[in-house]
Amino acid sequence: MSATTARETAPRSTPGAAPRRPAGAVRRRRERRVAVARTAAAVVVALVVLAPLYWMVVVSLSTRAELLGGQLRLWPRSLTLENFERVLSSFPVLTWFGNSVAIALVTSLLTVVVNLLAGYAFAQLRFRGSSALFLVALATLMLPVQVIMVALFRLVTQLGIYGSYWAVILPTAASAFGIFLARQFILGIPRDLVEAARIDGAGHLRVFLQVVLPLCRPLLAVLFFMSLLQTWNDFAWPLIALRQNELFTLPIGLLYLQGQFGADYGGTMAFALLSVLPMVVLFLVFQRYFVQGFARSGIR
Amino acid sequence: MAPGAPADVAPASGEQPGRRRRGRALGGSPGEALAAYSFLAPNLVLLGLFVLLPLVWALWLSTQQTDGFGAATAVGLDNYARLFSDGQFWRSVVNTTLFTALVTPVAMGLGLGAAVLLNGALPGRGVIRSALILPMAVSGVATALIGVLVFDENSGVLDGIIRALGLPSVPWQSGGAAAFASVVLVTLWWRLGFNMLIYLAALQGVGPHLYEAATLDGASAWQRFRYVTVPMVGPATFFLLVMNVIYSFQVFDIVFVMTGGGPQDATSVLVTYAYENGFVTRDQGYAAAIGVVLLVLTLAFTAVQWRTNRTRDLTE
Amino acid sequence: MDLSRRQLLGAAGALALPAALAGCGGFSTSGGSSGGASGGGDALTFTTWGTDAELAGLRSAVSRFEESSGATVSLNVVPYEQMFSNIDAQIQAGNPPDVFRVPYYTFGSYAGAGQLLDLSSYLGSDVADRFTDQAWAAVQNEGSPFGVPHHTDTSAILFNRPMLEAAGITDVPTRLEDAWSWDDLAQVATTLRAALPDDQYPFAYNWQGNGVTRWLSWLFQADGRFLTEDLSGPAIDSDAGRAAVEFTQSFFSQGWVPPNDTISSSTYAQDTWYSQTVPLVWSGAFSIPDAEATLDFEWGATFAPQRVRGGSDFGGNALVATAGTANPELAAALLASVTEEESMREFCTGASLLPTRTDLVEQGIEFDVRPELAPVFLGQASTVRPQDSAQVASPDMAAIITVLQDQLEDAFVGGQDAATTVRSLSDGISDAVR
Repeated sequence: MSATTARETAPRSTPGAAPRRPAGAVRRRRERRVAVARTAAAVVVALVVLAPLYWMVVVSLSTRAELLGGQLRLWPRSLTLENFERVLSSFPVLTWFGNSVAIALVTSLLTVVVNLLAGYAFAQLRFRGSSALFLVALATLMLPVQVIMVALFRLVTQLGIYGSYWAVILPTAASAFGIFLARQFILGIPRDLVEAARIDGAGHLRVFLQVVLPLCRPLLAVLFFMSLLQTWNDFAWPLIALRQNELFTLPIGLLYLQGQFGADYGGTMAFALLSVLPMVVLFLVFQRYFVQGFARSGIR
Repeated sequence: MAPGAPADVAPASGEQPGRRRRGRALGGSPGEALAAYSFLAPNLVLLGLFVLLPLVWALWLSTQQTDGFGAATAVGLDNYARLFSDGQFWRSVVNTTLFTALVTPVAMGLGLGAAVLLNGALPGRGVIRSALILPMAVSGVATALIGVLVFDENSGVLDGIIRALGLPSVPWQSGGAAAFASVVLVTLWWRLGFNMLIYLAALQGVGPHLYEAATLDGASAWQRFRYVTVPMVGPATFFLLVMNVIYSFQVFDIVFVMTGGGPQDATSVLVTYAYENGFVTRDQGYAAAIGVVLLVLTLAFTAVQWRTNRTRDLTE
Repeated sequence: MDLSRRQLLGAAGALALPAALAGCGGFSTSGGSSGGASGGGDALTFTTWGTDAELAGLRSAVSRFEESSGATVSLNVVPYEQMFSNIDAQIQAGNPPDVFRVPYYTFGSYAGAGQLLDLSSYLGSDVADRFTDQAWAAVQNEGSPFGVPHHTDTSAILFNRPMLEAAGITDVPTRLEDAWSWDDLAQVATTLRAALPDDQYPFAYNWQGNGVTRWLSWLFQADGRFLTEDLSGPAIDSDAGRAAVEFTQSFFSQGWVPPNDTISSSTYAQDTWYSQTVPLVWSGAFSIPDAEATLDFEWGATFAPQRVRGGSDFGGNALVATAGTANPELAAALLASVTEEESMREFCTGASLLPTRTDLVEQGIEFDVRPELAPVFLGQASTVRPQDSAQVASPDMAAIITVLQDQLEDAFVGGQDAATTVRSLSDGISDAVR
């Protein structure tokens, strides 16, 4: 491989060693072959990744009799919406949906604000204990919620917020993932810019709001979206913290429904599909922005 | 102006070490420290109240013998001593480590591969990229339920395909190694998108002029990958390494729903084992001790990573 | 360098959103205290899980109680999977429901830890007398009742008639005394194994997860015990114990059950029967309505096998009041009320479950769906003896279940021999009850 490339680039470094046109044609043909191979590889990977999701959709659209037929059918003979109708008529799906939206939005908003502030401090300000504090914050990411669940539950009860959305929102918003990302992003903002503003007499809050924040839009998008995704899909803690059926979020609803439906894969998958659809749509609509956001958050 | 835009990638990372060294030497003014702590306050309050306080409580709990209903007797380090002779605990340590050691490099390797594949011009690039990141949007519970649907030994679609091809079916549920593999595969499916996305973002920060220069210098495709791509995505690699390890140490939803830790503890990991002790057999002191071990493992890893990364920042 | 109007608007919007959302119920924290045992007065909270049919029966029983007593009961329905981590957390926080539903094998861990209300002084003797001996034995702790047996269920065999007939098996036992012996079952399985293709199996057993307590049926059929009379030590290291392990282990070595019919499997035995992978499955009566609605092959039910005697699992759930309830009389009255004849009959017939009242067991009940199958399950339940159900009420049952799961999995999947398995079971149980 290395030898052929060297030969290809030879014409440029040693003029007249070989006629230009044929070399170019060889290269173009080679490039086309590589492009075809790359496309094929990408398509295969995409199909493998999509297959389970496709199967989920097929199962959600099949009758139970078909599913139990035992005969493997990658392409279903008939499609039905009966699973969706059954799910929607037997469970307060809309209420759960509303709960998920409310909790995810407020948590994400809180996370973004709090982590951006912390990220600024860690990235642009010098103070004693900075490294130690950052390390501690990062370390909290490593703590599985199962380890502290019992204590957390007592705490939430003592604070009088058990049984409300806040019991989920506040502990969930205490996530260090955002600090990590925010610090990395803000490190990329030239310090000269910040110092120039400081010399002009701006206070730290003003520097943050007027110099740093406007540059953070891609970061805001990524942080908000990551938090939204995480909160939307979270289930271990909300399960404990949301006692009443009417406060459930969608993943808990899914678990609840699975308990009710048992072997009814069609109904379970129909609800699973409904519960992931909003995030899938958001992903598809905003993915370009999202990729850019990550690209510009300059993870380093 | 945008930070991390192609042109300022190299200068920015070259500049950082000097600045940090300066920062440490000066320490900052008292006013700056005050401002810093004000900015940190909301986060510190949340973390302190909802993470560190319960953690201290859990540490205390790990020295207690309790049925979980309040009444507790202090047993010192007995819970930790019990861990040493507990076969399932060691099995869970090995499984957790193995899971992490498999998922982290493979997910990152596949993610980088897919990102390189999708970084250039490609017909249908947007569609393919969408396909790869879709699993990210699916919740852990739903992912695991899909996993059950695919890997069921009797009616699962995967063994159906394998049998249709005339191959012997794989005991995804009754064979320990196969069950472990099924959990790893489902996790890779779920995590690939995130790894690819981060690498894709990092690759967009690599200027095409670097590749052109390397090509002019006679570098082969592999050499370009090895000596341009890999170093340029270094920060993303570090970020992903930390994220993947954290995630792998905490894997719960998928194991819990797909295999329940079986067969014969073949897929039992520390978090599911802690959960089993804490919430099923209600041996909460013991469960807390398992949690503390998990925490110590991850802290050790972070400390090592932090040190290596800092050294790299300073030397490169 | 003033803040731009857009920034201000953005900030205002960010602040306003939570405020606007606070209008929704979920943001008010007053809901937090409404559910606790502190309710007092004439209000009770009742936490349960349940299928639609069970909940319908429960709701109707609860409203009957509300009418007669004037109290209000708020019924809180949660997923079974997290029911008990939820209850535990609430108990620890000093905020438990007044009444909750609990499986018999979980009952003991709450009763033994002093978390349940001792009903001795709250229930009249007429209440104690209404239940069958084996049901009443299942809610005792240290000689006192800590709950009422709300219903039971037990596993009989559901069969797929076309599959059996294809293998030449045309008659199945129709009377309890004619139930298959272990040898008969082995005969049937051997015939089926020879007739079925490689990816189908003679039967599947419903011992997945906490269903591992259903393995005990084999032990009881061999006339064994797993706990001593006073529930203080293991009694499984016996010929009966070895016979039960050896026989059930052979299901795997002989290819009688699908390889994934293991204890820890995420695929329930029922699913393999639904998909016609197996013609026989052990199942509770609760699944009759779903099976009737779903399956398009002809199916029926017959009795589980017997060896020295008949034996079966005492499944089902008790209703209990928590020790900290502010209103013990009212809670006990609720428990008494939902186990009145009318309420229990309605609940059991609707949800296809078995009654715990002696009068209902004697009269027999008619399921709403496939009523002709009720006698099979009632007959099967009659093989449960009080000494069997009393063992399952052990306060250490949660730990014993883990021991059973681990050791049986080793025997079934890992090929651990019967003698070693029984010894390990005995050691494990001994640790669990220590």
